Amino acid sequence: MVAVDMRNVRKVFGSSVALEDFSIDIVSGELVCLLGPSGCGKTTALRILAGFEKADAGTISVDDKDITSVAVEKRNFSMVFQDYSLFPNMTARQNIEFALKSRKIDASQRTAIIDRMLSVTALEDQADKFPHQMSGGQKQRVALARAIATSPRVLLLDEPLSALDAKVRESLREEIRRLQREIGVTTVFVTHDQHEALAIADRVGVMSNGRLEQIATPRQLYEAPVNPFVATFIGSINKVPAIGISDGKWECWGSALTGSKSSTPGESVMVGVRPEDIRVTPEPGGSARLTDMSFLGPITRATIKVEREESVVVDLMSAECGSLRPGQEVHLSLRPDLDRVVVF
Amino acid sequence: MKRALKWTFLGTLAAFFIVPLLAMARFAFQSVPVVLLTPETALQGWSIDPIIAAAREPQMWSASRTSILLAVFTIALTLLLLIPLAVVTEIRAPRLRPLLTALTLLPWVVPPIALVVGVAVTFRTGAPWFLASVFSLVPFYALWAMPFTYRALDAGLQAINARTLYEAARSMGAPLPVIVARIILPNMTASIVAAAALTTALVLGEFAFASLLLKETLPTFMVNFQQSQARAGLALALVVLLLTAVAISLVVRVLRRRGLTVQTTGL
Repeated sequence: MVAVDMRNVRKVFGSSVALEDFSIDIVSGELVCLLGPSGCGKTTALRILAGFEKADAGTISVDDKDITSVAVEKRNFSMVFQDYSLFPNMTARQNIEFALKSRKIDASQRTAIIDRMLSVTALEDQADKFPHQMSGGQKQRVALARAIATSPRVLLLDEPLSALDAKVRESLREEIRRLQREIGVTTVFVTHDQHEALAIADRVGVMSNGRLEQIATPRQLYEAPVNPFVATFIGSINKVPAIGISDGKWECWGSALTGSKSSTPGESVMVGVRPEDIRVTPEPGGSARLTDMSFLGPITRATIKVEREESVVVDLMSAECGSLRPGQEVHLSLRPDLDRVVVF
Repeated sequence: MKRALKWTFLGTLAAFFIVPLLAMARFAFQSVPVVLLTPETALQGWSIDPIIAAAREPQMWSASRTSILLAVFTIALTLLLLIPLAVVTEIRAPRLRPLLTALTLLPWVVPPIALVVGVAVTFRTGAPWFLASVFSLVPFYALWAMPFTYRALDAGLQAINARTLYEAARSMGAPLPVIVARIILPNMTASIVAAAALTTALVLGEFAFASLLLKETLPTFMVNFQQSQARAGLALALVVLLLTAVAISLVVRVLRRRGLTVQTTGL
């Protein structure tokens, strides 16, 4: 069942178009990440959904009910902000209580809900502390507890992990995912960090210049990007030459591939190939030369110069590349089961 | 070299402020004439008689009372006008902030004489009773203090990130009056105290408006008193200056102890 439906939304600030023909369906209980570079319109989309900004055109529906003109406080959404936005004059407990009072939750139920929220976010020992007495991670957990305490119809997270250090960010990311699954709340998560988005989202919407370029599961997005922007934005990609062959396919390094657009025989293009989709075999007199190798733990990243072409980057399993040395001549081929590439 | 330059600069700056105060203190409280002042006589002839003489003046107490009441009313008027203005601008119309920041500086562009003459002409015909009262000074003082008070309140709102707090509370379903009363105002306490302290300091030292409107406040009393009793007048001026400085330092210390900084309070 579709919980949130934003249809043909447009928003202009002065002369700059923040959102253009933006449409998205979010299924009930789903966690969708909006991902994109700064200024791509992801926060604007979230703020329009929350009701903080008014769309210039388009409609927003929740559970098939048009809420385009409904005020923020009447939408029954909760939002978590990047800078925590905890009320400094209130303790963690009072912050959560404020949300419950605002939603007119009966006083007899409040204490039980607060205790449960503090327990699920492992904040029992922080209950009577003020925000300035807590760490960044603890503050954001209080903000999360406060947001879910009222059982909102939709939970909105605006770059909630950006202000935290890497380790806390990772653990809190897992916690958000666990809580979201536990309570089953429909969630929209805005981030510019692709690892964050790929790690926790059911689906990721990649945005650029106010448009939704593609929305898909993390795996689909990585393996079958619909256009060059998505292909280059998600993960690393090499641009390698390919020639059009019969059946609309492309020939690249001896493999016949289906492209994001079909070919005409003899047509010359560049296609995107992920670093882990390339196979390297030592071959004296081969057409490529290994120029550099960086050990990154489980994988080793090799830079390889191909004759009359740009260098490519290849990710090799560290355990399997013992015989390779910089300066060695090699032969490059594609993973045999690779059948689809994006055409630039 | 850099360190020596820094200390020379700070030393010169300190001398610029401290030397006149020491001279003032010596004139007011020491009865040794300048020509007889030597290292041997530097500690002779000091007495607190001049300040006792000033304290015996009944007019001094009535003028002080007037100034304190004026400070209280000015603080009330200033906060009543500026808190809603600053809060609404911050949370509802942040794009107007630069305009408001410029507008609040306007009182200092118009000289007191022009302000008083303009207002006097208007009120003498329409509401002459207004200028008859000593409290007619309150709006002038509120206007004159505005560049300080608005900045203190604005700094407080910026420091607590009032707009995000407002949005967070709204997304929870809280209505505007509740947000202002329970979230914004309690977190602005420090900047409100700072604004009040700055207003008090300004009112206790303001001379031009009171003199032009022929009102007797502490500063106008001090000027007149100095003309009849120079040493007692100067002793009183020095004591008022020190008391104001001590009061502001105490406010700053209390704010610092509560973890509030210059960014939060403007002080």
